[in-house]
Order: sequence, then C-alpha cells, then structure tokens
Amino acid sequence: MLVTWKYKERNTIIQRLDPRARWIFLLCVLFSAIQFWDIRFLLFFFGISLAHFFLSKLTWKETRRVLIFVFVLVVFIVGIGAILTGRGGPGEALTMFRETKNIIWQVEWVVPWVGWTIRPNVSVEKLVFAATQIVRMLSISILFIPLAFTFDPSQYGVTFRGLGLPDKFAVSMDLAFRFVPTLGRDFSITLDSQRARGYEVEKLEGGLIAQIRKMAPLIVPVTINAIVGGEDIVNAMDLRCFGLRKRTWLQKLEYKSRDYVLIGLGVLILAGSIFITKGLKLGDFWVPAWAPGLFGF
Amino acid sequence: MKKKWYEFGTREVVFAALGAALYGVLSWATNALALPAAGNVALRPAVCIPMFFGVVFGPWVGFISGFLGNIIGDALSGWGFWIWWDIGNGLMGMVPGFAMPLIQNYREVKSLVIADIFVVLGAVVGMGFSSAMEIVTSGIDFATAFGGYFVPAAVTDIINGVILVPILMVAYSAVATRSGR
Repeated sequence: MLVTWKYKERNTIIQRLDPRARWIFLLCVLFSAIQFWDIRFLLFFFGISLAHFFLSKLTWKETRRVLIFVFVLVVFIVGIGAILTGRGGPGEALTMFRETKNIIWQVEWVVPWVGWTIRPNVSVEKLVFAATQIVRMLSISILFIPLAFTFDPSQYGVTFRGLGLPDKFAVSMDLAFRFVPTLGRDFSITLDSQRARGYEVEKLEGGLIAQIRKMAPLIVPVTINAIVGGEDIVNAMDLRCFGLRKRTWLQKLEYKSRDYVLIGLGVLILAGSIFITKGLKLGDFWVPAWAPGLFGF
Repeated sequence: MKKKWYEFGTREVVFAALGAALYGVLSWATNALALPAAGNVALRPAVCIPMFFGVVFGPWVGFISGFLGNIIGDALSGWGFWIWWDIGNGLMGMVPGFAMPLIQNYREVKSLVIADIFVVLGAVVGMGFSSAMEIVTSGIDFATAFGGYFVPAAVTDIINGVILVPILMVAYSAVATRSGR
C-alpha cells in the first residue's frame, strides 16, 4: 500500500506565496467571517474562498469527494435544519421567526398523550436564514480545502516554527511527516503478513466488540514496532545533543513583498470586520425587503 | 525515577511524531479498507492511537498525536483542514495523558480501568469541544451539534478506545520492561 500525499507542485501563485503568510491570511479571513450573519457580507468571504480554491488550480477529480461531502452536509443537513427549526443563528433571528407573518407553509400537530400542539412552519425569513447559513458554512469549509493539495508536507515544521511554535513542537511536526511513508510501508507489510496467516480484515465476524477486538492483530504489531524503532531514534537524537541549543532548519522561509501584501490584506480584513460588527453595529441577520414579495406577501 | 507529566524532552518529541504519523496513516488506511460497520458505530480503530500515546507518554504527546495525526489523515485523504476537529482530536489524546502519573503497571486491571475512564473523558471533552465550536463558527444549533456531530463521534471513539487501548497497554508492557524506561 503506497502512502502518497495529495500535495502536488503546481507552480501557481498560491504555492509561490510564503506558507506563513497564507496561514495568517486564512486565519484572519476565518475569524472575520464568523462575526457576520448578514448574507451581503458573507458573500464577500465566499468570494475569497472561491478565489483561493480556483487560484489553487485543483481539479474536480481531486476534490470531488470532499466537495460532495461538504455540499451534502451544508445543504441537506444544515440548510434543511435551518428551514425547519430556524435555530442556530443570532437571537434576533429567532425573534423574527416567531413574529413573522410571512409564513409559506405551516402544519399543526398535537403530540399524543401529552396534548402539546406543535406548529412547525417555513417562512420567508427562515428561507433567507437557511441561505445565509449555507453561504457561511461553504465559505469557511471551502477556504481550507485547498491546503491539503497545495501545502508542501516538508514545510509544515518550518512554517509553524516561523509562526511562533516552540522548536520541539515544530521538530515533532517535521518528524511526523517524515515517518508517514515508513509507517505506511510497515502497515502494508503487517497487513500482508496477517492475510497470509488467514486474517481477513474485510470479513471480521461477530458483534461490535468482537469486531473491534479483531482489529488488534493489525493495530498492535504496527504500533509496537513503531515504538521499538522510536527508542533507537531517541537514542540517536540524544547522542547528537538534540535540544541543547536553538535549532536551525534545512529550509529557510523568507517573506517577499507579495507576502507582506497578503498579510496586510488579511489584517485589514480582520480589523475592518471588527470595526463593522463592533463599531458600526452592522452585520447582523438581514432579510431583503423584496424577499416577501417573491412569495406573494 | 518517575516521569513528570509535563515533560517534553527528546523522547516525547519522537513519540509525539510517531503517534501523529501512526494516527494519520491508520486513519487513512482503515478508511481505504472496506471495514464493516456495526449498526451506527463505525470501526475507527485508529482513534486508540492518540489515546494510547497519551496514557503512556503524557498529555503533550497525546495532544500532538491527535492534533497533528488528524491533520495528516485529512491531508492524505484530501479532506482539507478542519481546525476545530484537529484540536478536538488533540484534546482526545491529551486528556488520557493525565492518567499517566496514576498508572504504575500496564498489565494491572486497576491501571486498565483508570486508562479506560480517562479514554471516555478524553472522547467526551475532545468531541464536545469540536461540536461546540461548530455552533460558534458554522452557526448550527445545539441539537444539530449534539445529535449530528457529538454523539456519533464520541460514541464511536469511546467504544473503539475502551476496547483497544487496554490491549495496546498490555502489549506495550513487554516492550517497556525490555527497554527499561
């Protein structure tokens, strides 16, 4: 079983940016987007997410699995939930749902034995809220999807060290990425060896607990072998005086002018968002005045 | 000499990296294999790795194994970057790490029970954190977060962890005796 990263060198503008600058920008956009409930502002962040996605030059074949998952989750689970319950948004949205007269559909149902009357409804405001929720979640989800495909795994350690993570944590990250192909190979060998002994992981029998216990012949050898090998690595690093001095890195990241521009843009977006929401008190849930007219109200 | 739980030396650096790589690879590999599911509980054996590494090597190793391991697993599968779930997996590995000072012998029933209690706590705290943050960032309501995210994730992780972590601890006890650490 060959373990391969989804990352590929594509020579796009996104990959020419310093990874630290990318992370700072993406985190600024994330913390900005979550402050808004007005779809007009959220569409701006949705545009940024789409721009990031398309500038990464990802193909449908590479991303279809995750995009379909996100789409189903956002539209069917969150969107339909928002239409039926109206819950999850800011408090003033709930008030709007309770007081609205723009009800498109409503049913009344009496719960047996207890006699409670429930009146679920779909209103114009809830439809707008569902659309807002969908745009919000898609903006946040799509923003980070390109990272797996455009972020070089060998740069994780030096990037997070550059962002202020302690040396030892950053070294741990680097080592982890280095171990992945080795452990993938070990897993493959263990799986083949167990299969040669009659162990078929795809055909585990028994109840839930029995099936999980039967995963042990696959998990335990790989884990214990990795730990035994790890002791040798610890000794080798100790013999080379690891941790006694500040560490240098094989790769050196340097900011260019475009990276400063990107960081500045991210900070500007974040500062602007805070000013708009906290200073100008804008960005709350908004229903367009023309929306009720679409349904004959 | 008894190790302190907050230590993060060379040993912890290496085993945190190993735990992360193992969690990532096993998550990816067990997704790729057609594992049977039993009812609504998926077979996710890989979740035992950050919990086990936390119990044996301490909370920092458990956190990095879960946090970075989830990032690696998502990177291998092309699932993107889900920060709240990465932190949640980190917490799921970190909380069992606080059982480390309470465990003297990895084969004793008392130690296995203590580890299992912390495994349950870890899954609840970790998946609870991730689900709660989805309320804040995605704007879903509590019922969706609890029923749609927390319950499926936590129940799966608890069942897989409670069964596999003690098995790993017993297997590790032989290695620990041999290495003398």
